[in-house]
Amino acid sequence: MTTRRSLLAAGLGAASLPVLNACGVGGGTADNSGDAAGEVTGGFDWKKASGTKLKILQTPHPYQQAFQPLLKDFTALTGIEVQADLVAEADYFTKLNTELAGRTGAHDVFMTGAYFIWQYGPPGWMEDLNPWLQNTSATSPDYDFDDIYEGLRTSTRWDFKPGSPLGTGGQWAIPWGFETNVLAYNKRIFDQRGIKPAESFDELIQLATDLTDRSKNQYGIAFRGSKSWASIHPGYMTQFSREGGKDYTAEGGKLVAAMNSPQAVEFTRKWVNLAKAAGPTSWTTYEYPDATRDLGNGNAVMVYDADSATYPKNRPGASKEAGNLAWHPGPPGPDGSYATNLWTWSLAMNAASKQKLAAWLFIQWATGKEAMSNATKSAFADPTRKSVFDGSFKQTLGGFPGYLETFEKVVDQTKIQFTPQTKFFETTEDWAVALQDIYAGQDAKARLDALAESNTKKLAS
Amino acid sequence: MTTTAPSRQAPPAGPAQHGTPPVVPRWRRRLRPYLLSVPAVAIIIGILYPFFLGVYYAFLNYSAVNPNPVLVGFDNFRSVLSDPEFWTSVRVTATYAFVATGLETVLGIGIALLLNRSSIVGRIFEKVLILPLMIAPVIAAVIWKLMFNPQFGVLNHVLGLGSTFDWLSRDRALWSTILVDLWIYTPFVAILVLAGLRSLPKEPFEASEVDGAGWFYMFRRLMLPMMWPYILVAVIFRLMDCLKIFDIVYVLTAGGPGDATRTLQVGAFEDSITNLNYSRGSTYMFLLWILVFAVARYLVSVLGKAQRRAAGAEG
Repeated sequence: MTTRRSLLAAGLGAASLPVLNACGVGGGTADNSGDAAGEVTGGFDWKKASGTKLKILQTPHPYQQAFQPLLKDFTALTGIEVQADLVAEADYFTKLNTELAGRTGAHDVFMTGAYFIWQYGPPGWMEDLNPWLQNTSATSPDYDFDDIYEGLRTSTRWDFKPGSPLGTGGQWAIPWGFETNVLAYNKRIFDQRGIKPAESFDELIQLATDLTDRSKNQYGIAFRGSKSWASIHPGYMTQFSREGGKDYTAEGGKLVAAMNSPQAVEFTRKWVNLAKAAGPTSWTTYEYPDATRDLGNGNAVMVYDADSATYPKNRPGASKEAGNLAWHPGPPGPDGSYATNLWTWSLAMNAASKQKLAAWLFIQWATGKEAMSNATKSAFADPTRKSVFDGSFKQTLGGFPGYLETFEKVVDQTKIQFTPQTKFFETTEDWAVALQDIYAGQDAKARLDALAESNTKKLAS
Repeated sequence: MTTTAPSRQAPPAGPAQHGTPPVVPRWRRRLRPYLLSVPAVAIIIGILYPFFLGVYYAFLNYSAVNPNPVLVGFDNFRSVLSDPEFWTSVRVTATYAFVATGLETVLGIGIALLLNRSSIVGRIFEKVLILPLMIAPVIAAVIWKLMFNPQFGVLNHVLGLGSTFDWLSRDRALWSTILVDLWIYTPFVAILVLAGLRSLPKEPFEASEVDGAGWFYMFRRLMLPMMWPYILVAVIFRLMDCLKIFDIVYVLTAGGPGDATRTLQVGAFEDSITNLNYSRGSTYMFLLWILVFAVARYLVSVLGKAQRRAAGAEG
């Protein structure tokens, strides 16, 4: 009897453990030694992989939505059929993590961000695209890789040595669309009050506080605050960098966390106070769709987030405040810095793909001039190619006051402001947790000191 | 046309005739139990293989940045058990599990008792009660997250809380997630208890009524002891589920703010999936399994006793 009961109890418990392992994690290192790019010979021809069926993994982002109707053009050009599987952004990287770790090669091409290269690259889950770019048999002479903004090209290159600057090593993804993190605001409300966007961070705090009227369900500024690394990278990291903050410094060949420097502590304290005084009530759950929804509904007067996230809210009929939104670079730092953190949705090839030529042709087509130019006719912002930005994209910006000026003001100082390292997600999520703790009342200096100590240890281990 | 006379000889095989047992070869008789258990074994392998793989991972240093792991003994256990975050997760998980299960049990019994009285309203509520169980917990959590939103959520509007009351603040987040759990799973307990109530024999209650026993006396001395096995089954299911809670918490708060709702499953998810540290995540899960096993072992033994007592085998 006892044995039977033990077995029953063990069974009840055991059912809790397989969840993670059943996800397929633990596939080991990729065999990335093959030279698939080198096997492609002869003249370039879009039809070289005709008859192939390609599976791509995407999230239903404006970029994906702009490209979906164009997929038939790709099939007509190459004879390759494309099946696009979509996973909501909140769960996208969970799906991608487990799939890549499982080494199934179920999807040949996937959307990814530059930070993910730091985690997916070292285990060999991603194909180095540089050999493909260099192979004239596989790459169209019209491709013009250098037309993609330099900051973006370098953001997706890395040699996997923690702290080593971006721009060296393999080309792990091709930038497809990108975002600068700037301020979007409700111009109607600003014009009614006869006010202008702030030109310093202290002014921004004051302005946002003045614009907050909880009795009217209106608050000054929205930015992300959920328990996620993604809460650090947009507005926070941009303004953090402008105010002179650094995430890590290299000391004796090791990375030492610096998010507890005096400038960092002072800025973080102000940022959290701004969230309390003029942010959304439920700030600690806020992700970008929440922030941009509130801007579109007229609840939030400003949003400090990706320009491409706020851009769709101003398209006719897209939101209550459509047509009333405008853009501003956000306050410069004390030294006039417009350092801006970027995010780039890029296309990468699964190292376990069995159809690498077809995968490369798709990546090449989607990041090429013609397809990107066509995509800008719908909600595709911002294109990664200078020729497309200056050409077709600029023509769409007539009803978007300040968008172009903002872009041009910050683009030269726009890059990934984080130090590349392989434990980015763990340490950056810890950073977001620290902000939530400070929001709940913990002392900013003590909390950031603890965070820095913990992150330094994690990177050393 | 020919007819065949019944043979006097026993058929070599086939169904027994006139109560005569068939002659089955010994080897087949020996094999039969094993053949019958094949489907069960196949299912168990589906559970046990990842289970033991997970336990094995807990003794490696396996992560995305270290895809060629080696055995590290109990290092992961030492690391996890000395981490204050883990103990916060244990506290959060235990609070969630015991509070949610306790409240669901009390509310479920109360609702079942009310519905047990035959009336039109009761019959309608019986049908309505099952609706939350028909919604996937993830969907229910998404709906509640929208309702909790201070800017446009229906709760603050209906309760007159304005736009400044945050249901998911650090102090309230755990209780709000428990509230959602109550909404989804109290009907489960109520339905289970109601089924038990309706299966009880009427005679002891009629006899007690004749003897002049009051409602509360009958409830305490008759109904509750007879109902106890049903209630325990509900408690076992809910407690096990709550100890392993992930979906509701992850959708509503992702374990935040800070560590306010970081349950053991959320911690394991963060380590394994977000941070790609499979060994550490597996260690979390193995420790959770030990906790669930200990609680399940205890409750199953209590259930056995309760069943024997209800059957009159034990005093």
